Amino acid sequence: MTSREVLALAAIAAPAVTALAAGLAPRRAVQGIALAGGFVSAAAAGALSAVALVSPQHPHVGPWLVIDAAAGLLVGVVGFVGLASVLVSPSYLATVSESLVRPAWRARVYYALLFVFWTVLVAVPLVGNLGGAWLLVEGTTAASALLVGFNGRPRALEAGWKYLILTSLGLGVALLGIVLLAAASPGGGLDALSWRALARVHPGHGTTLVAFLLLLAGLAAKIGWAPVHNWLPDAHSEAPAPVSALLSAALLPAVLLVAWRASQALGPAIGGTAARSVLLGFGLLSLAVAVPFLWQALPWKRLLAYSSLEHMGVIAIGIGFGTPLALAGVAIHIAGHALAKALGFYAAVPLLGHEPSAAVHSVGGIGHTEPALGAVMGVSLGALAGLPPSPLFASEVLIVAGGFAAGRPWTAALAALLLALGFLGLAQALIDTTAGESPAHERAGAPGLRRVSLLAGVIVACLLALAAAALWLPGSALAHALARGIT
Amino acid sequence: MSGALVWVLVAAGLGVIGVRRRSLAVALVTAQGLLLAVSAVNHDAVAAAVLAIRAVALATLLLLVVSRTREPRPVRSGVAPFARGGLAIAFALALTWLVPTVGLASRNAERGVLALVAFGIATVATRHATLFHVLGIVLVENGLALAALELPGGGSSTAIELGVAVDLTLIALVASVFHERIFAEFGAGDSRALGSLRD
Repeated sequence: MTSREVLALAAIAAPAVTALAAGLAPRRAVQGIALAGGFVSAAAAGALSAVALVSPQHPHVGPWLVIDAAAGLLVGVVGFVGLASVLVSPSYLATVSESLVRPAWRARVYYALLFVFWTVLVAVPLVGNLGGAWLLVEGTTAASALLVGFNGRPRALEAGWKYLILTSLGLGVALLGIVLLAAASPGGGLDALSWRALARVHPGHGTTLVAFLLLLAGLAAKIGWAPVHNWLPDAHSEAPAPVSALLSAALLPAVLLVAWRASQALGPAIGGTAARSVLLGFGLLSLAVAVPFLWQALPWKRLLAYSSLEHMGVIAIGIGFGTPLALAGVAIHIAGHALAKALGFYAAVPLLGHEPSAAVHSVGGIGHTEPALGAVMGVSLGALAGLPPSPLFASEVLIVAGGFAAGRPWTAALAALLLALGFLGLAQALIDTTAGESPAHERAGAPGLRRVSLLAGVIVACLLALAAAALWLPGSALAHALARGIT
Repeated sequence: MSGALVWVLVAAGLGVIGVRRRSLAVALVTAQGLLLAVSAVNHDAVAAAVLAIRAVALATLLLLVVSRTREPRPVRSGVAPFARGGLAIAFALALTWLVPTVGLASRNAERGVLALVAFGIATVATRHATLFHVLGIVLVENGLALAALELPGGGSSTAIELGVAVDLTLIALVASVFHERIFAEFGAGDSRALGSLRD
C-alpha cells in the first residue's frame, strides 16, 4: 500500500471512527469526541489534499481509488469546511429547542450523522468507479436528509422530505444511465465502470450518449442545477447552519466532480463537444434562473442558497469550456466559494439569535445593530459577489477568458453578462444587509459570534491567499493536470 | 425473462398509480420485487436472494409504517385515477419513443424498464400521499433491477442489485422517519401540507 493510499484510508476512516465513537460514547463526552475527531479528520484530509495538489503530475489511478489534483482539491475543501462546521456546531446546538430526536439524544445523533456525512463526502471524490460513486452520492442523501430536517419543525420537515424524494428520484434516473453504460461497455461487469475503463467505451455508440444524458440529468438533481434545483433553496435554508455549509460548500461540488469525471471519461465516445455543451447548457440555465432571485430581498440563508445555484452554474460553465485557463478558474472557484459560502452560513447562527425574523424575512442594517456580525456577513457576501480582491473575481475572469480561449465567444459573453447581473443583485444585498435600514426593536445577543468572528479571520486570510494563487495557477502543472483528467 | 413476465411487472406498476390504499400499493411493489427474484433464480442465485430479501424487508418496513400511521381516509390525489394512469402511460410511451435501443437482452425488457421508471416518476408527481412518493422511488428502482438482470452477459447484475438494495433500504428507512414525523405534525401523510416554502 502506497503512502497516498494510506492517507486516503485515514481521511475516510477518521470521520467514520468519530461517528461511531460519538454514537456510542457517554453523553458528556460526545462534544469532546466530536471536536477531537474533527481535528484528526481535518488533518488527515489536509495531508492527503496537500500531497495530491503538490505533485499533480503523478496521480494514483486505480480501479477503485483515485487520488488526483481534483480529488485533492475536494478532499481539502471537505476537511476544512467539516472542521469549521464541527467548531460552530456547539453554538448551533445551544440554540435548538426541538428536534427530530429527544433532547438526551440530540447532540449524539447530530454529531454521529454529521461525521457519517463527512465520511461519505470525503469518499465521493476518491472513488475510482462510477458505480461506486453513485452509491456514495446516494449515501450522502441518506446521511444528510435527517440533518436537513433535524430541528423537526414543519418547514424543516418539508425541506428534508423534498430533498430526500427529489434527489433519490434524480439519482434513480442517473442509475438508469449507469446501467445503460454497463450494457454498452466492452466486457461488462462492475470493472467496466471504472473511470479508465469508461474512457475505452467505443465511440459512435448511440446508447452511450443517451446514458450520459440520463446520468447528467440525474446528477443535476443532486448538484442543484436548474431546472431540477427545487430542493436546494429549501434544504439549504432549513438545515442547521453548519450542515447548510457542508451541503453547499462540499456536497454540491463533490457531486459535480462525478459529473466532471464522467464527461472527461465519456468525452471520446460521445464527442467532447457534446459532453461540454451539456455542461454549458446546465451552467447557463442555472445562472439565468439564479439571477432574478439574487435581485430579491430574501431571508439570509435562502439568499445564500440561490447564490449556490449561481456558483454551481459558474463551475459547470468552466468545466464546459474545458481549457486549462478555465479549469484553473474552476479550481479557484470551488475553493473560494466553499470558504465564502461556509462563512455566510456560519454567520446565520449568531444572526438568528440576534434577529430571529431573519429565518423568514430579509434583514437590514446588521452593521449598525451588531457591527462584528455585519462585518462577517459583509465579507461573505462581498466574496460571493466577486468583489475584488475576492478570489471569485479572479476565478470568474479566468473562466470567461477560458471560454474565449476555447473558441466559444458568445457563450463566454453571455456568461459574463449573467455574472454581472448576479454581481449587481448580491452587491445590493450586501449594502442592504450591512448598511441598510434596520427596524427599531429590541434585539437579543448574537450567540456564537466570537467563534464565528475568529473563523472569519482565518477564512479571510485563506481567501486572500487564494486570490494570490489565482495569479500563479494559470499555466501551472496543476491546471494542466486538471485539464488532462485521470484518463 | 419472458415478455409476459415483463408485462406483469409493468401492470403491477400501473396498479400502484391507480390504487387508493397504501397497503395494496405496498403489496404490488413487493410482488414486483418477488417476481424479479424468481426470474433471476436460474442465472444468478445471489442476485435473486438479494432481490427477495430486499422485497421482504421493504414490505415489512412499509407495512409497519402504514400500521403506525393509520389515516382516517385515504389521502386524495389531485388527479383522478384514470387521468393518472393515462398520464403515466403517455409518459412511458414518450420515453420509449425518445430513448433508442439501449442494448438490454430484449426489446420487451427495455420497454418494461422505461415504463417502470416513467410510472415511478408519475407516481411521485401525481400522488399527494407521502408514502406513495416512497413507492414511486421503489418502482423506479424495480425498473433498474429489471435492467440489471437483462444486461447482456449479466456480469454486473449482482453488484447493481446489491447496491440498489442497500441504497433503497437506507432511503426507505429515512423516509419512514420523515413520514411518521409529518403524520404526527400534520395529522396526515399528505404532501399538500408541505407547501410553505415558496419564493
